[in-house]
Amino acid sequence: MIDFHTHPVMIQELVRDDPALQRAVREVFQLYFPAQPLEVFLAEMDEAGVERAVLLPIDCRTAHGCCIVSNEQVAELAGKNGRFVGFASVDPALPDAPRQLEKAVRGLGLKGLKLDPALQRFHLDDRKLAWPLYQVCAELGVPVLVHCGMSWSLAGQAKFARPLVLEEVAQEFPRLRIVIAHFGWPWVEEALLVALKYRNVYLDTSIVYSGTPADALRHVLAERIGLDVLERSLQRQLLFGSNYPRADIRRTARGIAALPLSPSLRERLTRTNAEELL
Amino acid sequence: MKSIVKRFTIVTHHETELINITDRVLQEVEAAGVQSGTAFILSLHTTTGLTVNEGLDDLEQDIADSLQRLVPESLSYHHARFLHEDGQMAINAPSHLRGALLGFEVFFPIENGRLVRGARQTIYFVELDGPQERTWVLQILGQ
Repeated sequence: MIDFHTHPVMIQELVRDDPALQRAVREVFQLYFPAQPLEVFLAEMDEAGVERAVLLPIDCRTAHGCCIVSNEQVAELAGKNGRFVGFASVDPALPDAPRQLEKAVRGLGLKGLKLDPALQRFHLDDRKLAWPLYQVCAELGVPVLVHCGMSWSLAGQAKFARPLVLEEVAQEFPRLRIVIAHFGWPWVEEALLVALKYRNVYLDTSIVYSGTPADALRHVLAERIGLDVLERSLQRQLLFGSNYPRADIRRTARGIAALPLSPSLRERLTRTNAEELL
Repeated sequence: MKSIVKRFTIVTHHETELINITDRVLQEVEAAGVQSGTAFILSLHTTTGLTVNEGLDDLEQDIADSLQRLVPESLSYHHARFLHEDGQMAINAPSHLRGALLGFEVFFPIENGRLVRGARQTIYFVELDGPQERTWVLQILGQ
């Protein structure tokens, strides 16, 4: 399995000697439990049957004065362990953001872009700030993963994170591969609309709102959307994601395992689609 | 009277895991030089347990399997929601309940400088929501 949605924010080796990161994780990302050794992250992946995990940082210097893990830290983690796939984050409000993105991909070897409009506080359809980043991703052939829907951080604002806004992006950048995170919850139908219509749009399963991951996945995927819709129309556009450490990878993997999916969809969702994107 | 308190950190690698800590406890009791007293062992966590049983692989597996059968993951629990105090989903009710079944502490008398325990008694720290970094505490009290 490949977990397309993890945040390397509670790793002792990273936060121990980095007071700025400690503050960012606590005050902006808002996690309040003790950091764990890197060894625990890898063991968590093992327990869940996850071979590789995508690491997502968030550069929100303009909105909150911090990076919730820097591109360099992500690149270092990915460089030390081949099971990690690092994505970049750049602050869209900074004038050299497109150049930083290019540097992160070409220079640091990062494999995609993470945007969190709720925390970074920009509009996904802002042609001045966001368009150049989509352009760079399309040119470099790397995907962009966009936080959509509710942000659990009290510093985040969901009004910036409506999935429907990405329709215009998908139209304007047909070669850009866009991942809508969290299935866009609570705007699941908006996310579904965009993914059904545009084959360059993907959805990740990191749905975290209430109940266990099994409860949330069953409710959203099986009851609200219908597994038949996923089987017929979205086999090539679904990605397994946990949102670790907001939810643990083990229980999210079990939530997916509990769904009565066809073998082909299960294989696509848990591995093949991610391999093709990366 | 002496009171020695020591903390021990371990990293667990599985969701449910029995870790034999007997030798460590015996070494510490011997080193403490307490001839008559009590050794208290406790976990600092609510999703772990401490227990004593015969140190056999098959029994370890039976204990782990039985805990999972007694408190199945598939049931519905109240503790399955976002926990604002942590900033993460609290979805580990079965781990808490398995811990409640086992208890969080064990103790043994110390006599003539040695732990009083049955020949087959093995002391286990039991991980119930791993992998995680965990801490257990040993207090040796006596003279």
